[in-house]
Amino acid sequence: MTSFRVDPISRIEGHLKIECKIERIPELNNEYFVTECRAPVTMFRGFEIFMVGRDPRDALLFTPRICGVCPNPHSITSAMALDDAFDATPPPAAILIRNIEEAAYYIYDHLIHFYLLIGPELGVIMGPEYGAPILPPVAGIAGLSKGIGTHYARCIQVQRRANEVVAMWGGKFPHVTSYYPGGVLVEPTLGRIANTVTSLVPLWEFVALTHIQDIMNLLKANERLKEVTGAVLGVNVGLEDIGIGTGNFLSFGMMPEVESYEDDWLDTSKRNNSLIKAGAFYDGSRHPLDENKITEDAKYSFYDVPDGLHPWDGLTVPNKDKPGAYSWTKAPRYDGKVFEVGPLARMLNTFGMEWRIPRVHPITGEDYGDFVYRVRNPKGSVLDRIVARAACVLLVANSVFKYVNQLVSLVKEGRVSTMNKKPVPKEAKGRGLWEAPRGALSHWVKIKDYRIAHYQCVVPGTWNWSPRDSKDRPGPGESAIQCGTTWVPTLNVIEIANALYSGWGDVLAQALTKLNPKYARLNMEPTDTGEYVNATIALLVVRSFDPCLACGVHIITPSKKTYTFEVGPGLCSLY
Amino acid sequence: MRVSRRDFIKIAAASSAAFVLAQYKMDIIKVFAQHGDYVHICWLNGAACTGCSVSLAQAADPDLLEVLMSITTYTSGLPIALPDWMYVVHPASGSLAVEYINDWIKHEGPGPKILVVEGAMQSPGFCETGGRDFRDWVQDTAQAADYIVAFGSCSSFGGIPHAKGNPTGAMGVQDFLIEVGMEDKAKGVINLPRCPGHPDSLILVLASLLEGVVPELDKYNRPKAFYGRNIHEEQCPFRAFYDRGIFADFGQSEQGCRFKIGCKGPVTWADCPTRKWNDHTSFCIEVGAPCIGCSEPAWPDGDYAPFFVELPQVPTLLGYPAESWGTAFAGAAALGVAVHLARRAMKKKTAEKHKEKGGD
Repeated sequence: MTSFRVDPISRIEGHLKIECKIERIPELNNEYFVTECRAPVTMFRGFEIFMVGRDPRDALLFTPRICGVCPNPHSITSAMALDDAFDATPPPAAILIRNIEEAAYYIYDHLIHFYLLIGPELGVIMGPEYGAPILPPVAGIAGLSKGIGTHYARCIQVQRRANEVVAMWGGKFPHVTSYYPGGVLVEPTLGRIANTVTSLVPLWEFVALTHIQDIMNLLKANERLKEVTGAVLGVNVGLEDIGIGTGNFLSFGMMPEVESYEDDWLDTSKRNNSLIKAGAFYDGSRHPLDENKITEDAKYSFYDVPDGLHPWDGLTVPNKDKPGAYSWTKAPRYDGKVFEVGPLARMLNTFGMEWRIPRVHPITGEDYGDFVYRVRNPKGSVLDRIVARAACVLLVANSVFKYVNQLVSLVKEGRVSTMNKKPVPKEAKGRGLWEAPRGALSHWVKIKDYRIAHYQCVVPGTWNWSPRDSKDRPGPGESAIQCGTTWVPTLNVIEIANALYSGWGDVLAQALTKLNPKYARLNMEPTDTGEYVNATIALLVVRSFDPCLACGVHIITPSKKTYTFEVGPGLCSLY
Repeated sequence: MRVSRRDFIKIAAASSAAFVLAQYKMDIIKVFAQHGDYVHICWLNGAACTGCSVSLAQAADPDLLEVLMSITTYTSGLPIALPDWMYVVHPASGSLAVEYINDWIKHEGPGPKILVVEGAMQSPGFCETGGRDFRDWVQDTAQAADYIVAFGSCSSFGGIPHAKGNPTGAMGVQDFLIEVGMEDKAKGVINLPRCPGHPDSLILVLASLLEGVVPELDKYNRPKAFYGRNIHEEQCPFRAFYDRGIFADFGQSEQGCRFKIGCKGPVTWADCPTRKWNDHTSFCIEVGAPCIGCSEPAWPDGDYAPFFVELPQVPTLLGYPAESWGTAFAGAAALGVAVHLARRAMKKKTAEKHKEKGGD
């Protein structure tokens, strides 16, 4: 047995590292596999400290800055937490504007994950025919690869257009400014609505035609991958067999319907009518969400707080020297169990194991055929997470036109109010629950003397990248890496690509090493015993969760260094 | 044809209006193309939210792809290049990533080495990457850099992490370099605050630095071309409402100045109203929100918080507080010619002030 680490991990948001123990498995051609993984998230959520004492409305502009990749979900979640605290239900036009803004944002977010963040790995796996457009636009070899980088390049432009829609309603992206308790500040002018539709059509076309086609190609390429792994390992291992999760999936729901906002959306145990339903999916079916079942453990986290606290009672008392601790994230659990969050959780809770999403052009009405997918691995896998992300973005791209049309109807009826203005309450509490692209997001605020007295965010990065909990169970990300199928080859990326498709590795080598000769060693990490192993599959599992970890101020635990943590005495006592 | 140094100074100076930058788009691309093999950028993330990297991807004049495709590195002849190191887009992770940063540090000419920092600096022990404290990385890279650009409010002045309470001792790169005794390097840091940093400001400054031109800076080391004009006094399209005493309320914003809902435009110097964001789409004030002053050193405290509360010191005009101006001027008859003359005098004064600033 030996081990390796990857630090830093690029093409994710935030500073995450992984430490893996690996073992040679005699039954699998004596290849290395990961047997144990720890994924320390080396950060501390300082936001919860410096937001205390501020005007509650400042949370609308502070919390998006928790993460610049996913600022919008924090905006809307803090707005909903304040809606709740201010007792201010937004008028219909505001609900629709929030949906439109979040939908446009959502399209940007999932697309950059597929093309810019995980794309380079997928492109290699998908080979010269299917993978070329997904890779960054490097050089191809005539006759072997065509159109290298075309979809990658297109994605850079498409995400920009999506964010222009966000900016139309939110002022700018990242970090929109138009949310407010009880509604939105922006008004639904016909100019904004017209520009929105104009921008959304090419976005829909890219999502429904180009992106979904790439996903279908990935499914085809996955069959090829199984043949090759079969030849090397003696077992056919596809992307549905790696990164296996826990089988427990949590969703908070997103994109409410206007008509049932108060009856269905505001009651988090319902949320049946929203585009994405809230629920806890386990034992093969969805169960109603009970927000009281959310707790956080801290046995292996650098906090001196009891296990099992609900975010309303959440404490943040840091202790860098805590014996046995290894991460600055707490371990959120639902009903005391490990739950995965993210697109797969959304799709399972909303549609179950089989999904069918129409692809009808929003303007011409042309039907491009439904996108149909049956979940390959009910416990979750790299493949299922990637396909679920694409299914979600198609679902959102379809429904945003519905929200725009509903908004047009409201404007025609003269119901243009976007604000249910209420004063800042002297004492109140409120919570907001929403689905960020990376999964279930919740904000919990308590107001005292017109100021924030308590603010806790339980973010997707905490759910998926939690350390071991009070019962020593690893978090979803750690579980997926050490599930037993994370192959750590000694062959390098070029050799593997050549094994997958004859000559494909040479194409990549030519492009990569021209960029920098050292790329021949891409993802090769030294083990304790001095051997070099290929971490690509472990990284693929990490990236299948689309990690986004900036949710706080980074803090670290250099094993041999000491540092002092200084928090004014008054600050800690506020928790 | 090379863009001359002189032309470039002209672009940098003129770029406070968005359409001017669009007009010079091809020139900017040309600069990157000309420097091709010799563009060496190292982009480090400290206490960051990655919003500034995302913001760069929203660039429009020229867009990111146009920039990257006009650069070629390592004489590769490839159609696209990458910064020597940039966390968010780089193919490499782990030990190879660390090696790339070290290679950049050791690399010697031709062409300038530019360090871009995103995110705040913190007290020792709060941020680590590649097995080292982030502070060590910045010291080493700053020592090796020909130019240092702090992109966004966090790396410029500390930004959100240095909000009151500041549990991690967050500060900007310039203050950090002074703290560790690198005053010479600190002097040259170019600050491009705003939350996030505006992509135009970074791309233009990078192109400018490649030409060996350091843009003219203000007292906070911000290029005057982007931060030379006050939002409220000199640029805001809603200014006319202020002068007539018509004020917007929350959610009722198409008509009215945002002063009463907390707009910090009067104490903020940035070109958002003229440049706008996301390919000239919009900016905070345009969607009915107040300006929160994200380009200023004291932000998010000082004059700038709470965000939705009116500035404590109400500017007065002829002794009248803002909210009563409408009445005052509607009843101009009562004040008669005096008001009229006073306003004319004020207009003249503003015009003169513009003239003075014309050289920016």
